[in-house]
Amino acid sequence: MANLKDIKRRIHSVQSTMQITKAMELVASSKLRKAKDRAEAAQPFFEATYKLMSEIAAEDPYFNSQFVRKRTDTGACLLIVIAGDRGLAGGFNSNVLKIAQARINEIKAQGGNPIVMPIGQKAVDYFENKDVKVLKAYDHIAEHMNIYLAMDMAELILNTYKRHESLQTVEIVFTNYVSPIMQVAQKMEVIPLDEMPGSHPRRCAVEYEPSPEEVFDKLVPRYVASLLYGAIVESFASEQAARRTAMENATDNATEMIDNLSLQYNRARQGAITQELTEIVSGANAQQ
Amino acid sequence: MNTYRLMILTPDKILFDDEVVQLTARTTEGDVGILAGHIRYAAILQTGVLTVKLPNGETRTAAESGGVLKVSDDKTTVMVTAAEWAEEIDPDWAERSRQDAMAKIEAAQNEPDRLERANLKLQRALNRLRVSGHGTGQATPPLKKKKQ
Repeated sequence: MANLKDIKRRIHSVQSTMQITKAMELVASSKLRKAKDRAEAAQPFFEATYKLMSEIAAEDPYFNSQFVRKRTDTGACLLIVIAGDRGLAGGFNSNVLKIAQARINEIKAQGGNPIVMPIGQKAVDYFENKDVKVLKAYDHIAEHMNIYLAMDMAELILNTYKRHESLQTVEIVFTNYVSPIMQVAQKMEVIPLDEMPGSHPRRCAVEYEPSPEEVFDKLVPRYVASLLYGAIVESFASEQAARRTAMENATDNATEMIDNLSLQYNRARQGAITQELTEIVSGANAQQ
Repeated sequence: MNTYRLMILTPDKILFDDEVVQLTARTTEGDVGILAGHIRYAAILQTGVLTVKLPNGETRTAAESGGVLKVSDDKTTVMVTAAEWAEEIDPDWAERSRQDAMAKIEAAQNEPDRLERANLKLQRALNRLRVSGHGTGQATPPLKKKKQ
């Protein structure tokens, strides 16, 4: 009865896979909950900083910061790519990397020079053997992301931007968490902060100390840091949501497979019993 | 006593969002006190202390590590890199990060960039210790006795 044994072995193996996917699903759900709270808590600061920056930019007609000014078209671009540290998250990593690669190809086609800053093991691995310059790579930081690290990263990015006049833009590729079942990988421009929307068309007198420019320049690193922090935390939430969905599907598939295999097993068992009975009966008949 | 809405924001949380009577903070130009009806105002905050007077007469203090203060008509917003209430600061942790910062300063003597960062870290640690009432705010000598 090799067939029966085989089926039984397969059922066992699918069952143990299912246990793993089920466990991963539960882990991802609980991480998702935490990550979602963190992503939500990061919103108010980002919005308040952005609002104040656009107010300063809108109120002062002579306002001119190096981070707002558009630079000459050189095509050079610093691309911050946020992917996950682990796989088994459906299309999460490949979606982000696809967008990043498309942008790099575009920059190269225009004769520009792309530089990347990969965040997350999967992004770091991806760019390791690619023909692009890596500014600095970060892995395994998303789960315990803190604001000081984000400040350091922002400082590095802003210093790079200040030092290299030829660097035209700084862009970020991350995954936007829309809902537990929908996450969208997207690209966003970080610097220059062009077209800051003038939410206050009328000029209202605000007293800035020491000066509007200095307040603005103080805000820029914090703005970039909070944007990075937000993007990393949000990508992490997306990764968990993607993993949860992927693992939920895997668990469902495993359940279905077990059902089918059980049916096969029972049929085979029934078949074996029937055959045995037939043999016994025909044996008994032959005796008479 | 007139009150106004104060929000203390850090990139990872909302520390405070409620009506207050007065806020005292240290800007690069000196200490400021904000009462209800203040003109529109924005200033850079140094690493320092935020003192908040609540409508019930209670006073709360928080350690803050630099950012921007903004007063608009409807509310006052404090946007800082990090902020903790005095009673929520873990003095052991602050002390450890102070020692860590001192070690980093030692190690980074010849690198101005890292030295400056280590100095900022030390400032933050000292500020936390001071606000939590466990430190003298002096860089040396190392803190030995701790009130528990």
